[in-house]
Amino acid sequence: MNDIIKHSIRFVAIVIIQAYILNQLEIGFGIQLMVYPLFILLLPFEIGLIYLMLIAFGMGILIDAVSNTYGLHTSSLVLFAYLRPVIMKVFSPRDGYEKQREGNIYEMGSRWFLYVFGSLLAIHHFWFFLLEIFRIDDFFFILQKTILSLPLSYLLCYLLQALFVTKPKER
Amino acid sequence: MRNLIAFFRRFRVFLVFVVLQIFALSAYFTFLNFPRSQYLTSASTVSGAILTVRNDVTKHFNLSKNNDKLQQENSWLRQHLPQSFQRLRNRTYEIDDTLFHQQYLYIPATVINSTVTKMNNYFTLNIGYRQGIKRGMGVFSDKGIVGIIHNTSEHFSVVKSVLTENINIDVMIEPIGLFGLLKWDGRDPRRGSITGISNDLKIKKWSKVVTRGGSGIFPRGLMVGHIEKLNPVEGKPLWDVVMRYSEDYRSLQRVYVIKNLMQAEQDTLEANIPEDKEE
Repeated sequence: MNDIIKHSIRFVAIVIIQAYILNQLEIGFGIQLMVYPLFILLLPFEIGLIYLMLIAFGMGILIDAVSNTYGLHTSSLVLFAYLRPVIMKVFSPRDGYEKQREGNIYEMGSRWFLYVFGSLLAIHHFWFFLLEIFRIDDFFFILQKTILSLPLSYLLCYLLQALFVTKPKER
Repeated sequence: MRNLIAFFRRFRVFLVFVVLQIFALSAYFTFLNFPRSQYLTSASTVSGAILTVRNDVTKHFNLSKNNDKLQQENSWLRQHLPQSFQRLRNRTYEIDDTLFHQQYLYIPATVINSTVTKMNNYFTLNIGYRQGIKRGMGVFSDKGIVGIIHNTSEHFSVVKSVLTENINIDVMIEPIGLFGLLKWDGRDPRRGSITGISNDLKIKKWSKVVTRGGSGIFPRGLMVGHIEKLNPVEGKPLWDVVMRYSEDYRSLQRVYVIKNLMQAEQDTLEANIPEDKEE
């Protein structure tokens, strides 16, 4: 029960941050900050993939509805959710994932977070800008947008966790 | 049958993934061209209401600048009032209203949400079909054209701005009267381009670009921008004309929606043009 309330608050907060703050920023150079994949990553490990994708779908629809993008965020986020277990399996720790933990920087370590979240976010960003531009002769523009946005989005997600996720007690 | 069920059970995760992706992608690609529902856009009541509140706060940031703009426009309009002209010949004229029919009406509106950095940028206005807004009406500001109404709800409407990929407004280069189609490449919100200009004609830099008024969405002669650069297109006798918009879409607030009273008349007339048959 406690977990459901925690994740619901996160859901609302991240949708508001993304839709009403980050999507309104105009930084230039084609940079767009996206933090909402963080929510999908932080959902518990034992959640079923179908439920994960449905949550991702709902969240994407909400963000799309406010920022007039009609399914762009939804498609990228569903892809992110679908690939989450695949990437997590590739970088799984030696003794597997424990059920009660979640994938934040304190529980799993920042190295694991860099590998798993970094590669998932790269796929998400590339898919997003590929769909947004959708022209093969602008391939370098897609790459430019992806490569410039990716480190900034990653840093922002890292900072959000450092600020708002509480450190677990020493066991 | 049992094999089929086993097949679905095995691939059910992938199938859900595919179904969700198809739903999202078809929504994305159809919405670029045909708006179907207003529930998933910022024209819907809930997000429209939130955006109104947000705009109530942020509109004050540009208040003095917008006041200056309105004042300039007012002074320009005042210059055209009858009392600011001096009568040269003292003769009486009879004004016969049968000579002039009103063709365009202008409905004022405020932009409550806009983006300029995406590939396709849509603006949300604070008026909807209650105020007589319909799909396909033109939108302009005091400095230049803004776009075409894409979708409306009861109190809000979404504008497909000139900062979208396939906006295709017919424009004309003054004073030579050449016309082409307005395009945008998705990079710089200050510059657009015009296609279909043949390169055997000389075009002066900084010549004016105005609307042609061909489709009846915009009246003829509304400001669009100025020619900035001419680049040759490889292998074709055409110029790629780079144009600088006269309006700064990054700080756009007050706009007007154009209602053409004779749109239906023009459309029925043009529907009678026989189509080219391919033989």
